[in-house]
Amino acid sequence: MNKKHCIAMLLAGGQGSRLMPLTNYVAKPAVPFGSRYRIIDFPLSNCINSGIDTVGVLTQYQPLELNDYLGTGDPWDMNLRFGGLHILPPYQAAKGSDWFKGTANAIYQNIRFIKRYDPDYVLILSGDHIYKMNYEIMLEEHIANKADCTIAVIDVPLEEASRFGIMNTDKTGRILEFEEKPKNPKSTQASMGVYIFSTDKLISYLEADEKNPASSNDFGKDIIPKMLEDGQRMFAYLFKGYWRDVGTLDSFWSANMDAISMPEDEPEKLILNDKGWRIYFRHGYNHPQYIGETGIQRNSLIGDACIVEGDVEHSVLFSNVRIEEGASVKDSIIMDNCVIKKGAVVEYAIVDSGCEIGEDAKVGGPKDEGKLTVIAKDNKIRKNGKVKQGDIVYHEEEDQ
Amino acid sequence: MNALGIIFTDSFDTNMEEYVERRTLASLPYGGRYRLVDFPLSNMANAGVKNIGIITRMNYQSLAQHLKSGADWDLSRKFNGITLLPPYSTQWAQAEFYENRLEGLIANIPYLRFAEEKYVIIAGCHQIWNEDLDDFVKKHIESGAKLSVMYADKVLNHQEEIDATYIKVDEEGAVTGQRVEKTKPRGYSYSLNTYCIERELLISLIEKAQRDGKKSFRRDVIRTLIEQGQVVGYEAKGIVLAIENPTSYLESSLALLESDVREALFGNENNPIITPARDSAPTKYGEEAVVANSFIADGVVIEGEVRNSVIFRGATIEKGAVVENSVVMQDTVVSENARINYCVLDKDVLIEKGRWLSGYITHPFYVKRNSRI
Repeated sequence: MNKKHCIAMLLAGGQGSRLMPLTNYVAKPAVPFGSRYRIIDFPLSNCINSGIDTVGVLTQYQPLELNDYLGTGDPWDMNLRFGGLHILPPYQAAKGSDWFKGTANAIYQNIRFIKRYDPDYVLILSGDHIYKMNYEIMLEEHIANKADCTIAVIDVPLEEASRFGIMNTDKTGRILEFEEKPKNPKSTQASMGVYIFSTDKLISYLEADEKNPASSNDFGKDIIPKMLEDGQRMFAYLFKGYWRDVGTLDSFWSANMDAISMPEDEPEKLILNDKGWRIYFRHGYNHPQYIGETGIQRNSLIGDACIVEGDVEHSVLFSNVRIEEGASVKDSIIMDNCVIKKGAVVEYAIVDSGCEIGEDAKVGGPKDEGKLTVIAKDNKIRKNGKVKQGDIVYHEEEDQ
Repeated sequence: MNALGIIFTDSFDTNMEEYVERRTLASLPYGGRYRLVDFPLSNMANAGVKNIGIITRMNYQSLAQHLKSGADWDLSRKFNGITLLPPYSTQWAQAEFYENRLEGLIANIPYLRFAEEKYVIIAGCHQIWNEDLDDFVKKHIESGAKLSVMYADKVLNHQEEIDATYIKVDEEGAVTGQRVEKTKPRGYSYSLNTYCIERELLISLIEKAQRDGKKSFRRDVIRTLIEQGQVVGYEAKGIVLAIENPTSYLESSLALLESDVREALFGNENNPIITPARDSAPTKYGEEAVVANSFIADGVVIEGEVRNSVIFRGATIEKGAVVENSVVMQDTVVSENARINYCVLDKDVLIEKGRWLSGYITHPFYVKRNSRI
């Protein structure tokens, strides 16, 4: 069978500048999330759980760690002879070499990859969001609507709508108008950055867009408005469920906290412990965690090979973290291989991997009294050291 | 590494009672996420052994599901990798269970002949250790002896009422005697029943034993070699734990609460113990969780109290439940206000609300897989 019904193209080249310093060495999709995952595990697991086994991952910014992480795609069962996971970096061609200019240009440069699988439909995704979504249902609607393009939307509160790309639709869901970050939004249906295109339409619009020197080669700014202008059949697909853009440090922190628990009255919760919709990830060779005689551990997620002898409250610990006796971690995210020494206090902070917080050091402050504190990779906070609430401690070698 | 590996999955399991009723000893869960076979297999794979035969006797379905293609140990290769060696029927004979290691080896002579490696490492699953098998083979080659036996001065949680193999090793490292006894004779060390031998020699020895109508690898083949002065000992460097009967299973499980045991088994970065991933969610501690001195795997949900226990992947400890001095295996649920003390709850057990179960360290209360109490 030399054909795939639907393949996915995952835009993973984003720098994630608002997530600095977490994205200083890694592309945003490779940023760790929820004690053992990376952001990209969510769209990739959604794909395989939706029956889409062929994904082109478009990389550009800091790809080393992301490439290592993706490998042959085996964690997502995408190491296949025909199809599977493919990393698509920018490349040199006879006519010259180009970085991907915009999202549409990135797909344009890989049209040959799409054609090889001769799919009827192409799903375009990004590696910026935390959500569990069955793309198969969206594809069924796309087919039933005989649509040229279907855009997944989520209902957002009216007061937040001006932060998103908003779709105005008719009763059948057909998109009449698309407004990027409107001042006076006419609807609350925000684009999730998830598109399904019928392949022929996608390729013809990408080729036309490439020929237009005035275009910024972007889906949201160029391709979608042009298709609407031409009266193509474009539909919105309303997604109901947990969906968060984790593009800023604050939203990244909140989504991690959502993974621990959410208020009862919250209609859409992030549930990771779901055997019917597993989120797959590349695992290390870590042994189980050890919780010591001392300390209180509550309302938290704790990763493999952690040794916890201090207090952990409302926090997410990644793997191989050591919390020594008398140390206390609250409202925080502690990534892989960190050590929080005796008597140290970490409150309302993100501590990136490989950090050591010295004895009796103090990082951050109470959540209701100020801003999030962030410590970049491999930093060492000395004994009795203090990191003021709201500070961002960069890596020594970074030229910020 | 010019050695192939042979792992026996059933030997020394006669005292494990119901624990191995529906599985081989090799697939007995241990340490929150492992099966016993993960230990010899990871030791071999990390030493660079590329060809591993796993000799099974019965009930190897759960083992086959665990090992799959061997990809988790990087042993899903074009050539060799993992080979499951179950009993088989031929035109002339019905398959029979192997009664002992010798019969298991005789039945697998074709596998041994087909291999190209010069040496063979033979190991079992009833003792847990983390050792550098590359060094074991190197020292064997250097010694010029026909056979090397791994030994240890101490095996934690060995049960006095159960037979063990002991060897006497002189100052030069030569093995001068072997005894099978309940208690350790003076001047003897524990044999770990782990051997290194040339493949061609092994084949000729087991063929000769078969011709002579011998019955035991340990008592006949090895003893003869010892008498000929052809055996050297190799001392295990780390901690060795016994899994001999339900008591030693519980004791060796709770030994993981000691940091030196964890360090010995899991602390070597070059020799990680590998087991297939289950893609569980991270372990979650609820609002009222109270956890002390426990070894806890991933995918666990703890809302109640857990003390001095080992909790496997996917287990749930509900509000008000108290788990002490116990092993709770995969996907088992201890419901609200239930109390568990010195118990071993096998996989997929449901302890209903308010039930109280207790054994003692010498008599752990065991609950079978899929039971509901």
